[in-house]
Amino acid sequence: MNSLVITRTGTHLTIQDFGRFHYQHLGVSPSGAMDQRIIKELEKIIPLHHNQFIEFAYVGPSIKVKEGSVKVCVGGNCNMNIQKNNGTQIICQPYKSINLFEGDELNIHNTIDSVYGYIAVEHGLGLDPCLKSFSTDTKAGIGSINRPLKVDDTFEILEDVSSWDHLSIPNPDYKKETNFKVYPGPQLQFFTDQALQSFISSTFTISAQSDRMGIRLKGEAILSSQSHDILSEGILPGSIQVPSDGQPIVLMRDIPCTGGYPKIAILNEEDISKISQLPPGSQIRFDLQTIY
Amino acid sequence: MYFKGINSYGDRGMVLDFGDDSSKSISLEVNKAFSTISNLGLPLLNIIPSFNKIVIIFENSQIRDQNKEKITLEMSDIKSQSHKSANKTWKIPACYDESFALDLKLIQKLHQITKEEIINLHTSESYYTYYIGFMPGFPYLGDIPSQLITPRLATPRIKIPARSIGIAKNHTCIYPKISPGGWNIIGQIPFDIFDLQNPNPSLFLPGDKVSFYSVSNKEFQQIQKKHFSINELIKEYSS
Repeated sequence: MNSLVITRTGTHLTIQDFGRFHYQHLGVSPSGAMDQRIIKELEKIIPLHHNQFIEFAYVGPSIKVKEGSVKVCVGGNCNMNIQKNNGTQIICQPYKSINLFEGDELNIHNTIDSVYGYIAVEHGLGLDPCLKSFSTDTKAGIGSINRPLKVDDTFEILEDVSSWDHLSIPNPDYKKETNFKVYPGPQLQFFTDQALQSFISSTFTISAQSDRMGIRLKGEAILSSQSHDILSEGILPGSIQVPSDGQPIVLMRDIPCTGGYPKIAILNEEDISKISQLPPGSQIRFDLQTIY
Repeated sequence: MYFKGINSYGDRGMVLDFGDDSSKSISLEVNKAFSTISNLGLPLLNIIPSFNKIVIIFENSQIRDQNKEKITLEMSDIKSQSHKSANKTWKIPACYDESFALDLKLIQKLHQITKEEIINLHTSESYYTYYIGFMPGFPYLGDIPSQLITPRLATPRIKIPARSIGIAKNHTCIYPKISPGGWNIIGQIPFDIFDLQNPNPSLFLPGDKVSFYSVSNKEFQQIQKKHFSINELIKEYSS
């Protein structure tokens, strides 16, 4: 038997995968990893991840091997070390496989100049899917584990490590993106040329009140010429909605399934992952493309 | 025919547009299109109906573009297509006792009607399920009798009890779970309408017909004790 226990939670620790689909018409959000590029990279090192990734934001967790041994890999830019059972400490790197033995503790201190990081564990965490996905939506209380992870949460890894060989890939070292191409949103025509002009010519600051549901922006108010209240309709992640205060919100993975604010624009899938990694205070600009 | 056309929504999404108004006849067309497209077996990730739009998302832009033609073709004769509705008709027990009906007094005062009149009005109609949204399993039902039309609460409640029945504007709803919200609460139903353990987790589907009948607090408690599963509820309360 192999098992892992959470000994320190860090912040916003949840289980995520590539998303929960086919249920949005029943009010269930797609959820999934905020930065899907990273879990795709981790797949190269830990192909047998069983879609059960641990996501953290800013401060990572500590996880300890309670029994047996496990192979893990961390993705994202983070500082971390391993506190070995024999008292020694080893600095370790993301995107390199790590073999952990009974009593070893992996401490992920923080993400560097970014927000989200991930842990993949070979053979997964022994979880059962919920509505065909492992992702946690903490607001709706849906998931294999329907809440953020906490200290003493223990995972049984049912199979043994397949090989002790060390695998690694070069750190993808994602460039920090601050200019985003966006495409017309369903209510683009609600905004005057002047409003559109300030949307594309001004700089927005990412607010600290951002989470898995949405990234709130602060900047010049973008006012709709019609209403800021439309009949609720289906919304997709990456949509930029503008409530009546004119401060845009980029809707992220835990989107409300339908919404009644006009959507001026939408990011493409890749850019949803990119924007998720910008810490509060980051300044961004939008470049509106005419067609997709 | 209300269908206006298909627009792109980002790199991998599309919106089927049925205009800007909302009515039951628009919704009937929306939900017919929703069930027709859902049953085509297209490789889509999500299809989300609402009052006058259907939003669809695919894995990537290529798959979206490949399927756009099929959907356009299907929509071109949606009106003439025969449509076997898989929708259900529900008769749902509801208790309108003061202990559940947190805003009954407010509505009595606003419309100058008695509690009995409110119950009679709310149970008099068979409501249409416009769509499911806001939270998992939450049905937007309508339209309620005009005498009951009430604005949303000026200050939303922080905690509405699970299974509460609400009314706001010309709609009525059921809160599947404890939630913040702004609907006026007039009663409660005695069972859960969303079950994560069931592969078909939502009791109601877009297009279902739902009516309520009034039960006493005692009957309410008796039904509650049975802890019906979704499948048992289907047998017991739908046709």
